[in-house]
Amino acid sequence: MPDRLERLLNLTAALLTASTPLTAAELASRVPGYPDPSANRDAFHRAFERDKSALREMGIPLRVLEVPGTDPPESGYVVRREDYALADPGLDPDEMAALQLALAAVRLDGASGSEALFKLGGATPGGSGGEGWLLAALPTEASLVPLFGAVADRATVRFQYRGEARHVDPHRLSFSRGHWYLDGYDHDRAADRQFRLDRIDGEVVAAEPGGFDRPSRSPDRAVSPWELGGDPPVEARLAVDASQAEWALAALPDGSLVARHPDGSVEVAVSVSNRDGFRSFVLGFLDHAVVLEPPELRDAMVDWLSAMSR
Amino acid sequence: MARRSAAERLRLLLAVVPWIVAHDGPTLDEVSRRFDMTEDELLAELDLVFLCGVHPFTPDSLMDVVIEEGRVWIRYADYFERPLRLTPEEGLALVAAGSALADVPGADPNGPVARALAKVAAVLGVEPGEALDIQLGSAPAETLATLREAVASHHQVELDYYTYGRDERSQRVIEPRAVYAAEGAWYVDGFCHRAGADRRFRLDRIASATRLDTTFEAPETVVRGPEAVVPGPVSVFDPDPDDPRVVLDLGPRARWVAEQYPVETADELADGRLRVTLVAGERAWLERLLLRLGPDAEVVAGADDVGAVAARRVLARYQD
Repeated sequence: MPDRLERLLNLTAALLTASTPLTAAELASRVPGYPDPSANRDAFHRAFERDKSALREMGIPLRVLEVPGTDPPESGYVVRREDYALADPGLDPDEMAALQLALAAVRLDGASGSEALFKLGGATPGGSGGEGWLLAALPTEASLVPLFGAVADRATVRFQYRGEARHVDPHRLSFSRGHWYLDGYDHDRAADRQFRLDRIDGEVVAAEPGGFDRPSRSPDRAVSPWELGGDPPVEARLAVDASQAEWALAALPDGSLVARHPDGSVEVAVSVSNRDGFRSFVLGFLDHAVVLEPPELRDAMVDWLSAMSR
Repeated sequence: MARRSAAERLRLLLAVVPWIVAHDGPTLDEVSRRFDMTEDELLAELDLVFLCGVHPFTPDSLMDVVIEEGRVWIRYADYFERPLRLTPEEGLALVAAGSALADVPGADPNGPVARALAKVAAVLGVEPGEALDIQLGSAPAETLATLREAVASHHQVELDYYTYGRDERSQRVIEPRAVYAAEGAWYVDGFCHRAGADRRFRLDRIASATRLDTTFEAPETVVRGPEAVVPGPVSVFDPDPDDPRVVLDLGPRARWVAEQYPVETADELADGRLRVTLVAGERAWLERLLLRLGPDAEVVAGADDVGAVAARRVLARYQD
């Protein structure tokens, strides 16, 4: 009796070489190791079902098709080589080593990279493990793997979000400030929307691949709190104490520095179109920053603080 | 190699066989090291491949495995000439790891990681940065490089550090043990001479980091490797049960607080506001929060006049 691995390997080879879909009975006669279906139908069925799910679980694209020329129609199984095979990414040795290093340095909870590495040719012997330090651990969400598959396949997805059913073309996943986000086109709202993955409930159901074209990403940059508020833009000047000067300059666009004083404090200028956001930014410095100009922004700050200090 | 199930062994074989097919007689030693097996384990699996093939299992329809002088060839296995495509999970693991490493401040945008990532993404049908974007957090590249180098060489580092929660600048000498990104920011953990204890520092609050000539002995408990430094998902927010709590009623414009910070309780009030309990942490943190929220939040308990006192202190700067 051949062992199960032998049977699975032969089954995979039989499915990959089939010129037409093979019925379960044909597979039983072509792959050694199955219980005889004519003697014990149930035992064969159980063994075959178990093998099919093992192949599907590891990602073998097993197709069930109608066998041509059968009446009544019979189901047959086949694996198309173009569906099965990994296209060769053509990685140079230094690139392969870099991926190996990346997988050692960055851990995504719940997604193992070692199988992926094996498929790409295994670990480079003697390859550098780098410093051997874990540099980043990324959290995962139940919806992350299916959504990544749907983004790659361009498959429209359905999921529950804050208690509502959503129907979305998934364009892009991002990880930012410790959370995973999905950007996509929301069919029900007829607009682009962003979803936080930890607020998706239950299963993500993907439709057929190739359901939409991914729009090219507009080169976005981080929006600063004092921008995009719809207020008429004014140039504001701000004095920041020496102790906070580096952080203020790091947060502001290049060229914001107006003057640096001998005591290390700085004066900066910034164009403000979101006054609430600007106030919050300035208050983040506590009593180490003061709005100098224009009078309307300075007065607004004084009013805000006066109301609070009572 | 731990004992593997038939399905796990199949998965491995479907990667090993194509690799051997594609190479002209690699050594058993190289194959076993690439695929994390001992040579004996590899030989046992190859014995089995030798018995496999397609119907009718005549000699010419079986895979042919030749092992000679420590080298191995596989022929008549053209159906296994390519490895199985990547699953979404494997693709994600690769692209996420590559994108994350490419986002480390100071990473070479045209280096091997970036090139590998572009090639793998193309195979998966995604564009790096287009379909998956990872931002670990911002940190000055120079500070990060200094600290990583000091961790590796066990050199002490002098930090000019801003303690956000206490609104205080200080100089301290630390023995850096690990540098990593978690929850959207970069951190260094190490023994702090000023505190006389282990401390965690955020890289974006380090004004300067200077490597000293003094080395330190690496504590023996530090194990290098993916599992070592950061066990489990890192939680950098670790409230002390004794930390003070503050209860706030949040108006509509302040509800973001409940999403931004871990709140211990959140209850909808009849007037449409949300009552939340927060760990108040340190005073300067709470001052900033209350100053920003202004009239959109009302303190119910735990902070008394923190907001008013802070507002008066800031207001004094406008009366100079």
